[in-house]
Amino acid sequence: MAEPLIRMQNIRKSYGRVQALEDASFHVNEREIVGLLGDNGAGKSTLIKVLSGAVPLTSGDIFIRGKKVSLRNTSDAIAHGIETIYQDSALVTQLSIARNLFLGREPIKPPRFLNRMDQDAMNTVARDLLKQVGISKNIPPTTPIGSLSGGERQAVAIARAMHFDSDLIILDEPTNNLGVAETQGVLSFVRSARDSGHSCIFIAHNIHHVFQVVDRIVVMRRGKVVADDIDPKKTSVAEVERIITGMSDKEIRDAIADGKPSH
Amino acid sequence: MENRSLIQHLIARPEFGPLVLLVIEIAVFWSINHDFLSPQNISNTLAFTVELGLIALAMTLLMTSGEFDLSVGSLFGFSPVLMWTLFNSGLTSLEVGFVAALLVAAFIGLVNGWFVTQLKIPSFLVTLGMLLVVRGTALFVTDGFPQRTWSAEGSWLAEALVGDFFIGPFRIYMSLFWFIAAAIALGYVLTQSRTGNWIQAAGGNPNAARARGVNVSGVKIGLFVLSSLMASLAGVISSLRTSAANPNSGTGYELEVIAMVVIGGTALTGGRGTIIGTVLGILILRVMRNGIVLIGVPGLAYNIFIGAIILGMMALHSWLERRHQAGT
Repeated sequence: MAEPLIRMQNIRKSYGRVQALEDASFHVNEREIVGLLGDNGAGKSTLIKVLSGAVPLTSGDIFIRGKKVSLRNTSDAIAHGIETIYQDSALVTQLSIARNLFLGREPIKPPRFLNRMDQDAMNTVARDLLKQVGISKNIPPTTPIGSLSGGERQAVAIARAMHFDSDLIILDEPTNNLGVAETQGVLSFVRSARDSGHSCIFIAHNIHHVFQVVDRIVVMRRGKVVADDIDPKKTSVAEVERIITGMSDKEIRDAIADGKPSH
Repeated sequence: MENRSLIQHLIARPEFGPLVLLVIEIAVFWSINHDFLSPQNISNTLAFTVELGLIALAMTLLMTSGEFDLSVGSLFGFSPVLMWTLFNSGLTSLEVGFVAALLVAAFIGLVNGWFVTQLKIPSFLVTLGMLLVVRGTALFVTDGFPQRTWSAEGSWLAEALVGDFFIGPFRIYMSLFWFIAAAIALGYVLTQSRTGNWIQAAGGNPNAARARGVNVSGVKIGLFVLSSLMASLAGVISSLRTSAANPNSGTGYELEVIAMVVIGGTALTGGRGTIIGTVLGILILRVMRNGIVLIGVPGLAYNIFIGAIILGMMALHSWLERRHQAGT
């Protein structure tokens, strides 16, 4: 079998005495959308933070295409082609779409010593990218991010990851607080990202959103990966819910009848 | 149709409010006292305006990056004191004294930037502390007395910085050209250059900027140094023009400069800044100070008007900002 794009092996992470990740192992193949599911506190955020360089791991190894890497900060992760998209946090609301897309990698017009941004080139690329991710409305690339909707912001962040050839795009709750149409928009951006050769990790509370878009589902519970090869086409939502909570059908029914929370 | 959208575009710009205010101010002062637009009054007003203005230009970039600098007024007083002390004691020529004053200012900016970015202390506290250190040093070195400054006549440094000549009836100082050059250069940096994009990102969302590989700390430290250098240059220019080096000069300038910047439309919270707006803000406050005296309002009432302008402009900017965020 070919070496996966990303392989995380025996990852442990503890915050003081709290063990957030216990020996978690996880992989993402090329051109694959993986849905990462788990209850609150299952460790999926921590796993993603480790992979995006936001928190250092306590022990374990990360491989990219079979090569061991160390991700000490988010810039490291981006340099290795791992882009994380949190709701809102990755964009500067005061800057335009084009300026956000190229932030930190602005093209320079000659002569170079003038350090002048090539704003025409930035706008042209931005316009193409917006079309590519499927923003149907005709939004000029000079629009500030602050006047875009949540879904459009996600689209800009995804477009940026696609343009700079990120191999892996991590979407942390990308459909939170979005309306129905916007959610469908984001799901289609994710599909177009895969179609142009990127892999994605998709994290969402709404299991139905995950089912609509992913190729494979991975479930975490109490800091461990408890299932990593669930095919959404052959598995029901109820079954996945059962795996997430770690309860049998009967236990879930009883819990609901008792009005107890289901964990 | 095209015309209408152009006008709408103009009105939506943050500089539009300040521009209108400046025009009204000039019209009102002129209608009350025609001397307001006399060549002599314009020349006098401009001379000091550009000195404060140099500081405000640098402060615009610093505030766009999300920080501000309260130590500029103290540097305005300290730098000429240092330069003249070195010169009068016979240690250095005036020019070398000038370079030494700039180097010390750059170092002070570096320390400000280091405290803010590395120790993560708010710039308000860091530069307030620095204000006291620098002002205290100026007073200690001079025992509180002004320095002798009469020997600047004929020095090429003085000629280059504050040499004056007449264009028609207007007496123009060289410092006006330094101010125009600085405004164009910094306006270019802020709107056209890659550095400008980083400055805005550093103030708008530093975490996002850092995640894209922008050296946020480096940008901010650079701007603190720039701010100190401009304050120092402005102090030296003022001292050469007025032939005075008073360790107390520049007291309170930091607030006037910050007021100029925010009146112009730069966000106090960072992320958005405009050099054109700052130039308008500089003129608004200086014209106000000059005009009030000229139309016979007691000078002591000056602050009432300045305060009212700040409050009014802030209300306008916040309204524009909300409209902007709403996407209209």
